[in-house]
Amino acid sequence: MNWLKEMGRRVIYLFQRRRLDEDLAEEMRLHVELRAAEHREGGASGPDAEAAAIKRFGNATRLTETSHEAWGWGWLDSLAQDWRYGWRTLRSSPGFTLTALLSLALGIGANTAVFSIMNAVMLKSLPVEDPQRLVRVRSGGNGVFTNPQWEEIRNHQQAFSGMLAYGNTRFDLAMGGESQPARGMFASGDFFRVLGVPALLGRVFTSEDDRRGGGESGPVAVISHRFWETHFHGDTNIIGKTFHLNRLSFQIIGITPAWFTGLEVDTAYDIAIPLGCKSLMDSDVDVLAHRSYWWLCVLARLPAGATPQQAATRLNILAPEIMRATLPGGWDGDGKAEYLRRLFDLQPAATGFSGIATDYRQALFTLMAVTALVLLIACANIANLMLARAAARQREITIRLAIGAGRRRLIRQLLAESLLLALLGIPGGLLLAHWGAKLLVSLIATSGNPLEFSVSPDLSVFAFTTTMAIATGFLFGLAPALLATRVAPNEVLKKGGHGGHGRSRFRLGQALVAGQIALSLLLLVGAGLFIATLRNLGQVPAGFRSQNVLLLEINTQGLVPKEARNQLYNGMLERFRAIPGVDSAASVALPPLIYGVWNETVEPEGYPGKPGQDTLLYFNQVSSDYLKTLGTPLLYGRDFDSRDTLSSPKTMIITETAARNFFRATNPIGKTITVEGSKKRYEIIGVIADVKYRHLRESTLPVGYTDMAQEPDPWPSMNFAVRAGRGGASVIPALRAAVEQTNPALSVEFRDFELQVRETMRQERMIAMLSAFFGGLALLLAIIGLYGVTSYAVAQRQGEIGIRMALGARRAAVVSLVLRDVIRILLMGGLVGSIAAIASGRLIASLLYGIRPTDPATLIISIMVLGVATLVAGYLPARRAARLNPMAALREQ
Amino acid sequence: MLILKTLAKSGESHGFEIANSIQQNSVNVLQVEEGSLYPALQRMLLKGWVTARWGVTAGNRRARYYQLTEGGREQLDRELAQYRRVNLAIEQVLQAA
Repeated sequence: MNWLKEMGRRVIYLFQRRRLDEDLAEEMRLHVELRAAEHREGGASGPDAEAAAIKRFGNATRLTETSHEAWGWGWLDSLAQDWRYGWRTLRSSPGFTLTALLSLALGIGANTAVFSIMNAVMLKSLPVEDPQRLVRVRSGGNGVFTNPQWEEIRNHQQAFSGMLAYGNTRFDLAMGGESQPARGMFASGDFFRVLGVPALLGRVFTSEDDRRGGGESGPVAVISHRFWETHFHGDTNIIGKTFHLNRLSFQIIGITPAWFTGLEVDTAYDIAIPLGCKSLMDSDVDVLAHRSYWWLCVLARLPAGATPQQAATRLNILAPEIMRATLPGGWDGDGKAEYLRRLFDLQPAATGFSGIATDYRQALFTLMAVTALVLLIACANIANLMLARAAARQREITIRLAIGAGRRRLIRQLLAESLLLALLGIPGGLLLAHWGAKLLVSLIATSGNPLEFSVSPDLSVFAFTTTMAIATGFLFGLAPALLATRVAPNEVLKKGGHGGHGRSRFRLGQALVAGQIALSLLLLVGAGLFIATLRNLGQVPAGFRSQNVLLLEINTQGLVPKEARNQLYNGMLERFRAIPGVDSAASVALPPLIYGVWNETVEPEGYPGKPGQDTLLYFNQVSSDYLKTLGTPLLYGRDFDSRDTLSSPKTMIITETAARNFFRATNPIGKTITVEGSKKRYEIIGVIADVKYRHLRESTLPVGYTDMAQEPDPWPSMNFAVRAGRGGASVIPALRAAVEQTNPALSVEFRDFELQVRETMRQERMIAMLSAFFGGLALLLAIIGLYGVTSYAVAQRQGEIGIRMALGARRAAVVSLVLRDVIRILLMGGLVGSIAAIASGRLIASLLYGIRPTDPATLIISIMVLGVATLVAGYLPARRAARLNPMAALREQ
Repeated sequence: MLILKTLAKSGESHGFEIANSIQQNSVNVLQVEEGSLYPALQRMLLKGWVTARWGVTAGNRRARYYQLTEGGREQLDRELAQYRRVNLAIEQVLQAA
């Protein structure tokens, strides 16, 4: 405890040093004066008495300093001195300082930008009550639950202090025509209570409101702060008013505070309605009672003192009972056994959920590595600049050493300078990071998935940046500082400032540049691979042409009964086809690359093997003319046409791969395919080229199209594809009018298919663009470094070159003399870089498509680009050396 | 130790008084550079052995008066005990010789 008090007093001393100094001085003055008075009384004359008193007192200045040391802040004094001195030296060479600051800001900014995104989607805790105690409950393959499961868990569990479930959805705010989508959430009654989110205005809903079809207050909604501002302009009278979601009337009962944007980190919610209200919106199936409709995400709050393991154990005691009570109908055999054995597991949920974090995890880590390499290169560059400067300051440093400055103190001072430089790089870095993060977000975001997470720097971003800046400061400052102070003062002063440890400094410089070249090569190879990946994906045969294709999604919003839907969709198709400018139109259940997956195990006629994983067929349902609209080549057989009706035998068109897999060399036309569970039988009428189903990157899947016209049970919403020769946008007004004429209450949404396809490659595009940018930046920095180090070498060897030329060396010989060093650096860096590139290629293999990470062509091209660039950078100073006037050079020696 | 002892005896004194007191009580045997008293006082302030307040001297001058604290008294006891032990040991060695 005593040392604590002492520490406290020291701190007080630190802040009151002026007053303390004055006190001490006054005290000492008094002492001397009293003593002098004593002497005077003893008979001495005035000045003599004073002198004697001062002599007896001792050296006042030294005593004051000793007192300061007693306060324990001596090191702070000298540190402040170091900083002031560093500041002055930086100011005295603005060119150097600016160059260094710029490269630092770029390096720090790029790193911080990537980090702030990682921070936002992976690290930052949700702004809810005690987020560390929130866990996500998962079970089964994808971890989501059916509503019957959720109700069983909720009603029986005792492992948690609270639980909530939610499912994301999209609401249509419009009463008809083009839809006005809003991001919605079906949330269980306890949702806001468990999260600890209060209402800013009005009230949040409770379990009372979470009843089938709505509670006592009827269908209610809670809206987000942002939605309140954008949609209702922050009108405080909105509480109690009603608005329409999917044509149904809901009462607004509350607004959540601005800090709560939902549990998904990258998409903010607009409207939350109680889970029980879902039944109002379902027309075909009762989703709340459905036992194989997996859609609810379940979270729970751990009670105080309980560990996740304990809670999971307690919950899992109930698992068999819950599963027995919710077994989906029609499941038997292995599926049933597996379902009944399912257990729950818990995951921390403090950081919320983010699709970006899942999809872009590897991409973000790759980017982080890339930007870290760029920062390293920038560090090497600054270290090189520092080295050159140390050479210029050799004399100053030597003199200071000669008159007795401690080496450690000098190193500390030089380090203070580099640290100061690094810290000065922070504001620029943060500014660049702010823009960079926004740019990154815009590169990741798509029209259908605008990202709304906040990348504004918070404490952890700031801590990251500062730590990084300090680390870089040491990184680029330490070696030059050590080298600069390792001199024999006598020798340097004798040589008049030249020489010293020029050779070893030059070596270090060369090594730094070689390192830069190696890192740049690594980045260039990476950029080459990512660009090739993007190009490969763009050229991959998708089985369709997306240009000039427009997609429409029509939603009947439960207004059209099942029986009337076929007629409605057919009528609409007729109207679309009649619009001038529309080349062809078709309906499709799952537009490729955008929608989900529908696959079933089938039994192809005459298939030798046992049906199973080998006979998994990916389904889609399309109308006639779909092949024409999407531009999918029909290899043989025919398209669906008027012969295929509800009453005629069911028909199917399969892809080449499906035909080869199921029917080998035999002609598939006329053969049948039977779906394993439902025993539906389809006759094959045509074979088309292979098509991509869900991803451009997927290996070719066997796909089968069934005929929309033969579907007795059409879905309440339908997609249409329209090909318009002059571009999709030109026919949108006519299409919109056609939908309105058919039924003004329908909602319709337009999407550009080409854009959608391109957006599926957004991760590849982002990585390719950024790695190309950073690769270029790295190359630029390396070139500057090489130029600098070669120029320095030329300046150092001026005398030698002068003598050689005086003795008759040709210019070409001088150039090659200088370039020899450049080539050595290049070879060294290139070799190390190639090895590193080959070794680290494995790490990015999964991000590549159609190219191996060790692709020799990419490596060779990168080496060539690097070689040409560095040779140019080396040639310029070499040429200058060759133009040297021997006389002038020698005279200067 | 000497400063602490002086303060323990006098209760409260300023620097000059302490210096004089040490000098007189040692019959002028101990004559140090007087100023070194002040850094020592600063250290003791930090350690919490003494406290200080500003007061006025008999000659109507502002001066800082130092006073022993409880911790200072303990420290004095410790140092005295230590000194006596060492002193005793030296005495014994001298007598033996």
